[in-house]
Amino acid sequence: MIEQVFFYAALVVMVAGFISVLRVILGPSVPDRVVGVDTLNTIVVAAMILLGAAYDREIYIDIAIVYALLSYVGTLAIARYLQGGLS
Amino acid sequence: MSTTDGDMGVVVRTSARATIPLIGIFGAYIVAHGHLTPGGGFQGGATIAGAGILFLLAFGLEEMKRHFNKNLYSALEGIGGLAFLGAAMLGISVAFFYNTLWHNGPFFNGNPGTLLSAGYLPIMNLAVGLKVFTGLVSAMAGLALYRRWRG
Repeated sequence: MIEQVFFYAALVVMVAGFISVLRVILGPSVPDRVVGVDTLNTIVVAAMILLGAAYDREIYIDIAIVYALLSYVGTLAIARYLQGGLS
Repeated sequence: MSTTDGDMGVVVRTSARATIPLIGIFGAYIVAHGHLTPGGGFQGGATIAGAGILFLLAFGLEEMKRHFNKNLYSALEGIGGLAFLGAAMLGISVAFFYNTLWHNGPFFNGNPGTLLSAGYLPIMNLAVGLKVFTGLVSAMAGLALYRRWRG
């Protein structure tokens, strides 16, 4: 049984994702683009959870958890690079 | 530049202390349930290697040098590959990669869908996970220790 309402919620979240992609493309400075990518990561996690609920597969939530954990590491790596790199 | 020599602020370090075991346990879950849920050896090993990358980023290069043992990681990578080959050799009397643990083995022969099922697949997932984790952490440490740009 596929719940229609979760597809509409995922559609709304995807519109927000396209807006943050716009910031990544247009951002005048590098930190703007980093914040855009970080926002996009969170939005993608929300979309994965909603699509997992829409397709009624609870194992899709695992991928969302892994993505949330590793996107934190990626953002931290970029922040560390902008801060001056390792040591 | 960062506050002290070679690591990030106290918020990042404290949250890394909380997050590194979480990533490690979740990667171990992905490896151990490789035959039941999405993921498997490579995905779980790469997830645990993400915990190693987070350790390097949060605590800096000096702390990484103190905890990273090149010989141990190199040996564990070899052991992962050999365990994969050993699991493939178990049914060599019938054929290479013959799943003899599943057909007439003493363990790993539970009902399909349970954790202790699927014959040699959990052993191979553990071997690949160990190999991928140690290989990625070794590659990352090698790149981080490669050369200093200044000083």
